[in-house]
Amino acid sequence: MSTPAIRADGLGKRFGRVLAVDGLSLTVEPGEVFGFLGPNGAGKSTTIRMLLGLVRPSAGAALIFGDPAGDVRRAHRHLAYVPADVALWPTLTGAEVLELLAEVGPGTDRGYRNELVRRFELDVNRPARTYSTGNRQKVSLVAAFATRAPLLVLDEPTSGLDPLMEREFRACVTEARDRGQAVFLSSHQLAEVEAVCDRVGILRAGRLVEIAGVAELRRLRQTVVEASFRDDVPSLVDVPGVLAVESLDRNRVRFTLSGPPGPALNALSTADPTAVVMREPSLAEIFLSYYGSGR
Amino acid sequence: MTALALRLSYRGALVVAVAAGGMSALVAATYRTTIGALDGSSLRALAENPAIRVLFGPPLALDDPGGFTVWRTGTAVAVLVSAWAMLTATRLTRGEEDAGRAEQLLAGRLTPTGLAVRALAAVSAGVVVAGVAVSAGLVAGGAGAAGAVVHGAGVAGTGLVFAGVGVLAGQVMPSRGGASGFAAAVLGVALLARMLGERTEPLGWVTPFGLAGRSVPFAGNRMGPLLVLAALAVGFACVALLAARGRDLGQGRVRHRVRRRPRFALLGSVGGFAVRRAIGPTLGWTVGVAGFLLFVGSLVGEIVRFLDENRRLADLAAGAGFTALGTPEGFAAAMFGVVSIPAGVFAASRIAALTADEAARRTTPLLALPVSRARHLGTEVAVTAAALLVLLAVAGVAYAAGSGLRLGAALAGTLTTAPVALLSLGAAALAHGWLPRAVLAVGALPAAGGFLLHAAVPPLAPLTPYAHLAPVPAAPPNWPAALTMVAIAAALTHLGIQAYRRRDLRTR
Repeated sequence: MSTPAIRADGLGKRFGRVLAVDGLSLTVEPGEVFGFLGPNGAGKSTTIRMLLGLVRPSAGAALIFGDPAGDVRRAHRHLAYVPADVALWPTLTGAEVLELLAEVGPGTDRGYRNELVRRFELDVNRPARTYSTGNRQKVSLVAAFATRAPLLVLDEPTSGLDPLMEREFRACVTEARDRGQAVFLSSHQLAEVEAVCDRVGILRAGRLVEIAGVAELRRLRQTVVEASFRDDVPSLVDVPGVLAVESLDRNRVRFTLSGPPGPALNALSTADPTAVVMREPSLAEIFLSYYGSGR
Repeated sequence: MTALALRLSYRGALVVAVAAGGMSALVAATYRTTIGALDGSSLRALAENPAIRVLFGPPLALDDPGGFTVWRTGTAVAVLVSAWAMLTATRLTRGEEDAGRAEQLLAGRLTPTGLAVRALAAVSAGVVVAGVAVSAGLVAGGAGAAGAVVHGAGVAGTGLVFAGVGVLAGQVMPSRGGASGFAAAVLGVALLARMLGERTEPLGWVTPFGLAGRSVPFAGNRMGPLLVLAALAVGFACVALLAARGRDLGQGRVRHRVRRRPRFALLGSVGGFAVRRAIGPTLGWTVGVAGFLLFVGSLVGEIVRFLDENRRLADLAAGAGFTALGTPEGFAAAMFGVVSIPAGVFAASRIAALTADEAARRTTPLLALPVSRARHLGTEVAVTAAALLVLLAVAGVAYAAGSGLRLGAALAGTLTTAPVALLSLGAAALAHGWLPRAVLAVGALPAAGGFLLHAAVPPLAPLTPYAHLAPVPAAPPNWPAALTMVAIAAALTHLGIQAYRRRDLRTR
């Protein structure tokens, strides 16, 4: 068996009295796209910073392609990183930042980098101080995707990107996987993770609560339905896929739907619906429904 | 918001107030023992030395503990308070804006002018506290109350002027580094004008240091110059607040270019990048220090002539323990000793900039590359040490050019002070690892703190590096002491690197 791209064993980090990450163990294989999901403050960034040796773990250990994460001269030859909140030297232009990162970094495909600059529509001749959050993120993304490092560690990399650029980002992740690069993608967007990842780990309050394939993740996929009726709400008892029915008032109802929507829609149409609104639940709502709200 | 500005600045204000008040109290209290060691005539001879006059200002009322303290520490205390005021003002204005925090406040009802007003108010409060501390220190040390109040007012007035200069710089310059550099340049010019004012009377009336001196605490207590000083402070404050009006957030009156062609030089390695970042600040500090030495060097001829005419004074000064202070070589050595202070603060400021880069997360992309912490900090220390030697060498050339001293002797003299500045560099590196919140303060300790302690508290002087600094070119270099200091600096750096390797990266 090949050496895993990431191997974390009982990783833990304590800041004073706060336990930010607790007993985290996971393995990411080479060439795999691993989604790292969790709400804000769950410990995603702390975990990533431990994997990068930027923060020292209080417990456990992590290996990057077999090299200890703390030995950055070796470990960082295998990876490229996009931080959650990209800060750049304000006086350097985008092109200069990319040059510095390419020269000092683990090896860059400059042709591909120029293509990425075009695709992300990045003006590299502006000093970084004039960049918006999204543009700084683009610089970091271009630098990371252009490396030949076998592992890309991306910490909420699309939080500042517009939908068009987000699409470009997903294409880049797919291209990276096709080149055999592993991707460790931290996110709080279920849709993004579902679109590009092979496997997903879910972090909550510093603990890894679930590691599953994306197919299994789909059972977490639910739809929240709110329906209004001219008269009374029809009965939804024993309708397949309908869960957590909540009566909002005499002629409005809210429930969650999992699986195919046919039976529920049939049940709704037995009365006289005036409006039906369906939306995806937020990750927080999924966490609440699956894991409860407490620690 | 004024409360926020106060909260962001009160710690530094307290440290400055304690240092300024404590130094004044100590010198005044030890007046008897210090003066007891010198007889009256040799003291007067020393005090009449033009070099001493230019450096410390005209000695007046040396027979009074207060007057002696003002002469001995007045300029140093005023510079300390002013430097704090100006750096804090640029931090609270341009620094908060650079960090993007000002936007949040301006989204509320606050205007940019309002923000500047509040920063100015907070810094001014700190300056006034420092002035009161100086007065209280003098009185506690046994000086008369009237003179103490006049001196405290002079120190506070000078600080107020530089609070205004700092806020103005924050409006004019588009980055914190630029604003601090601009304000520091004003401070340097003001000091130079004070020195020139010893010979050209009108110049002394346009610089806050000269005005504070002309209020002659303990020797007449004149109010006129203090009123001019107050007017100067109000003037700078008004100009600063006018500059804050109608300005785009994130931009200064001086604007950055929005687009430019890339310059790839020195981006190929960690070391190259460290050199690239060091070039601007090194140039700025070198121009300042070399300019100072060029000027004081030009005074040497005057001093030599003076001593030729007053042979007895020279003998007296030598007899009082100030060996050869009145000779060209002795004067040069004293100047070079002074220059080690900015050199040390420069070195500490370079490491403090590295710490600031880390806190602002700019370091993170670099440390995500195969770059170890040891190499990151070690490279910065090495590049800073090299920049330090360049600064001192250029300073030596400038002094030789100004004074006609042999170039070799001038270079030997400035470079002899390198170990003191290296101690500051080592202390800053140690703080980067162990106490990243206070890199500049810890780094400034050996050079600036050591100099003040050496001058103000004779019993503790042997603990400072200045007690072991040979007055080159007036005496041969003290190699064992120099090597010991370099070894200590290296050990401090090593400890700093070890701590930096083990600690978490600090980000805000």
